[in-house]
Amino acid sequence: MTLNHQSNGAPKGLVFNIQKFSLHDGPGIRTIVFLKGCPLACMWCSNPESQSTAPELVYTSDRCIGPAECDRCATVCLEHAIAKDAEGKICIDRSICDDCGDCSFVCPSRALEESGEWVGVDDVVRIVEEDDAFYVRSGGGLTVSGGEPLVQGAFVRALLEAARSRGIDTAIETSGLCNWKTMRDVAPLTDRMFFDIKCLDPEKHAEVTGVSNRKILQNFRRLRAEFPEVNIVVRTPVIPGVNDSEDEIEAIVEFVNDAGGASAYELLPYHGFGEPKYAKLGRQYRLRHLAPPSNERMRGLQRIAALCGAS
Amino acid sequence: MLEAVESAPASPGSKVLTPHEARIERGEPIGLVGGTAQSKRGRIQRMLEGFRDQPIRLNIDRARLLTESMQATEGQPMVLRWGRALAHILAHHPIHIEDEELLVGSAGSAGRYAVVYCELVGPGRFYTHPHELVPSKPGDPIVLTEEDVAALKEDILPYWQRNAYHTATMNALPEETRRLMERIFVVTPTAAGRSMLAWAHDYGKVLERGIGSIRREARERLEALDPIDTAAYVEQQPFLEAVCLVCDAMVAFAHRYAELARSQAADEPRAERRRELLEIAAICERVPEHPARTFREAVQSQWFIQTVSRLEQAIGGVVGNGRIDQYLYPYYRRDIDEGRLTDDEALVLLESIWIGMARSTDVYAKPGQPSLTDGFAHWEATTIGGLTPDGHDASNELSYLILRSKREFPLHYPDLAARIHTRTPNAFLHAVCETIKDGSGFPKLFCDDEIIPLLVAKGGSMEEANDYCVTGCSETKMLNREGIATGCAWINLGAILEMTLRDGRMTCYGDGIVGISTGDPRTFTTFDELWDAFTLQLENVVQHTFIQQYVSDTLKSRHIASPMFSMLHDLCMESCTDIHAGPIDKALYLGFFDVMGFGTVIDSLAAIRTLVFEEGTLAMRELIDALDRNFEGQEAIRQLCLNAPKYGNNDADVDQIGRDIEECFARLAQHHTTAFGGELDLRYVSVTSHIPLGAVVGATPDGRKAREPLSESISPSQGMDVKGPTATLMSISSTKCAQYKERAARLLNMKLSPASLVGEAGTRKLMALIRTACDMRMWHNQFNIINRDTLLAAQQDPDKYRNLLVRVAGYSAYFVDLTPALQNEIIRRTEHQF
Repeated sequence: MTLNHQSNGAPKGLVFNIQKFSLHDGPGIRTIVFLKGCPLACMWCSNPESQSTAPELVYTSDRCIGPAECDRCATVCLEHAIAKDAEGKICIDRSICDDCGDCSFVCPSRALEESGEWVGVDDVVRIVEEDDAFYVRSGGGLTVSGGEPLVQGAFVRALLEAARSRGIDTAIETSGLCNWKTMRDVAPLTDRMFFDIKCLDPEKHAEVTGVSNRKILQNFRRLRAEFPEVNIVVRTPVIPGVNDSEDEIEAIVEFVNDAGGASAYELLPYHGFGEPKYAKLGRQYRLRHLAPPSNERMRGLQRIAALCGAS
Repeated sequence: MLEAVESAPASPGSKVLTPHEARIERGEPIGLVGGTAQSKRGRIQRMLEGFRDQPIRLNIDRARLLTESMQATEGQPMVLRWGRALAHILAHHPIHIEDEELLVGSAGSAGRYAVVYCELVGPGRFYTHPHELVPSKPGDPIVLTEEDVAALKEDILPYWQRNAYHTATMNALPEETRRLMERIFVVTPTAAGRSMLAWAHDYGKVLERGIGSIRREARERLEALDPIDTAAYVEQQPFLEAVCLVCDAMVAFAHRYAELARSQAADEPRAERRRELLEIAAICERVPEHPARTFREAVQSQWFIQTVSRLEQAIGGVVGNGRIDQYLYPYYRRDIDEGRLTDDEALVLLESIWIGMARSTDVYAKPGQPSLTDGFAHWEATTIGGLTPDGHDASNELSYLILRSKREFPLHYPDLAARIHTRTPNAFLHAVCETIKDGSGFPKLFCDDEIIPLLVAKGGSMEEANDYCVTGCSETKMLNREGIATGCAWINLGAILEMTLRDGRMTCYGDGIVGISTGDPRTFTTFDELWDAFTLQLENVVQHTFIQQYVSDTLKSRHIASPMFSMLHDLCMESCTDIHAGPIDKALYLGFFDVMGFGTVIDSLAAIRTLVFEEGTLAMRELIDALDRNFEGQEAIRQLCLNAPKYGNNDADVDQIGRDIEECFARLAQHHTTAFGGELDLRYVSVTSHIPLGAVVGATPDGRKAREPLSESISPSQGMDVKGPTATLMSISSTKCAQYKERAARLLNMKLSPASLVGEAGTRKLMALIRTACDMRMWHNQFNIINRDTLLAAQQDPDKYRNLLVRVAGYSAYFVDLTPALQNEIIRRTEHQF
């Protein structure tokens, strides 16, 4: 199923969403291309459909009109993975579902959808360029995000090259975890990198994201050393109970300054908006009852960040 | 060095309220916003107290006086009859000066009022439904006494039943045309609802010259008429005589106020108020007869013209204020420079105009029943910004002052319109965006870069086009160049679609044929066959629309004349012709017809093309069967329809259908010439008609159920544009046939969540969005910046939210005054959040 990611030598990317009129991921009015696949599995991940590197079946039960009106999905499923549930909707037995995707093609209400599609660079650029009138006026452009977009390094590189050759401002949002070669190739093609640093302690990092942060921190240092001209915005998602202490934030700021600084530092408060998506994928959300950090907490941390930055 | 940025100020989930929402949540009573405004403009603050609680008094005085006069002048030239009638009204209409008032003049009683225009069919649901005319009960929004009802039923309506323009036009229609018009809401003629479409006066001319000078001009020309040149004499003499009569009557009307002010002053114990009343008297003796010398005189003169205009005739949307920041500016500048005026004093005077407009309401006079334009709407469009006649940016200090008033003054008047062009200064656009973000729906935006070239293509000079003003909800006018625009019709595109699918019939009108027979679509084997049938139905409807318009235009001057309006119009004065009696030499006649349900029908045709003819998922038979059953028990089919490609998502194939529909209309408009040698332009402005028009249309292939509202104006179907505002704008742009000049307003409502526009960064992004919309030549754009929760809460607790303003369509209204159907429709409009 993943064999079609090349066409005539040009790489294709596994894209799960292209979002226009995005106002918060880089300057101006932007289009975000979300790529599927991520080496991290952060507990708070708000795009769980972005983690796997294959297309996935997403089920939105609100939209399902129920087997009484429509049983098209169950009829096409050769594995009998779809059955009626107690609420008059359907349930999917994901242990036997082979992700063929046929049910999503017959579903009339888009209750069943396939997340992730292999798309060529030209097609992505064409969609991104539909909004170029808005980029011109707002200073916006393309932001590549994920998942971890650098999992699809060759595609990202081709996409950024194509965008730049057509005068489109480029940004990328990265967890920082990829091999150095990919990072090295992509960095100079961006007008701005949003680089996540979640916490400094490798063990704690592994506990909450599933992977150590050694490579991430090394990549950051090398980026600063070898590409000082690249505009990097460091971001930290503030997760209560994980990294919302003043010490954590102070440590991150010190690390960034020591590595050569960044053009800006953003603290992003945790939110639970991704929670409903877990159910749609038949998964459990681990931070179920976690409340977002209070405004006071965020302001306090902002102050620390500002103080440290000024020192 | 590392710099912390404030990109994430608030915790997610914590709701962002607009200032307007916040004031309502705090339960603030209606008043000026901010302590400084309240203390510096205490007079306005006091006048606003209890304003929303005042009932609306129906004014039948004008109707009574008009009828009296018209009965006495039967057989005389129409313009003279209307001149005499207006003079009679101005001499005898009751007048009053309310406490606190600096600006005097009213077309009704004290407090809120509504004028009855008995000569028209708008308020004259009277004609067709006289049995509905009953005195109001306590608690009704409109006050109509037993005496009013008796006067209307016995003295006023019987006369107009015999002499109504509406009846005359309907009787004069060819049989086939009348049959179509009689199917309510398929083609809805609007000519007899207003005596002309939205307009403004050339106020600047009066401020500069005074009515006295216009009278002198008319008198001189009257004396110069050569009776031997009989034709000219007979044609022109009554016009000039009417002008003289009206000028005298207007001056006398102002003098009645002067006299009243003096007599009130004599009895006034408070020295300060006594001084004010004497000042009022002096000003009313000066204007509008003479040129205005000060800002205050200019404002009073403008308001007199506006008041008399309201008494003369019902202009669509009620008479506009024109380019107020232009014609008032010289007086403002001079008074400020010479120390006679402060900004606060200027604001008090401007806000006195706003209150004067807000007191007037536009009702269809059935107590308890709101109008077709929900929320008692009227649009005295007030234009700011744009270009000067010589093509430079026109914004000035007064433009900014009016924007400031818009943020501080709590009522939904004036209906503020900002003209935006490529070189609009950032500072002005910034002030506009801050005002929009306040959240009460103002100002609406007009794109000079779209409108000016179109006006030039239609025949205006560069100078005239640069100087256009906004009128009504989304019209424009070149004041001294355009000839009369009589209302035309609302064309129900949803009905045209239904007739296509039912071989000329509509479910709600049973077995009889409404349109023409174009075949049973179940026999069609290609989308092209369906399209051909659709265009035939469309052409049939448009032809009859044009026919009814021709009749309306030509019969108008046999019923209505407007000498006051005409004497302020250069071309009418030049030719001594009343505005209604076309064609006037050099005048450009630019009327329009409105197409309703554009989004609904694009989506329906796209669904048929995709599901029936491309994918073959559905047979036409199955689809029509599901529509017949209003999708009962056919939910899977309805879901397929709902999830078919939709207009508003920048889908080139879908948008092409919209462009093809537009081209059908534009081509017909291009080949058509009106009775006065003008054009009828294609326009998409539904106001609130998409709700009653939807009520006659059966289920449609876009998944819409029978009787639900159609899509609104140029906007995509409610909630169907899911790819954000840039895709919506792109689609709207893609459906435009820019090669035709027979185009006018495309009204767009955009709903944005307050959270998406937080802070200065949010303002800048809104500025960029508007700049881009201007680059894309969007005729009109307006914003609702409001939380969906607020609208839902207002439905639950109308008392608490009774001052909540929302943008409806070309105007703002109090949400709780709207019918539930319209409230729901606004809630269902797509909210773009990011």
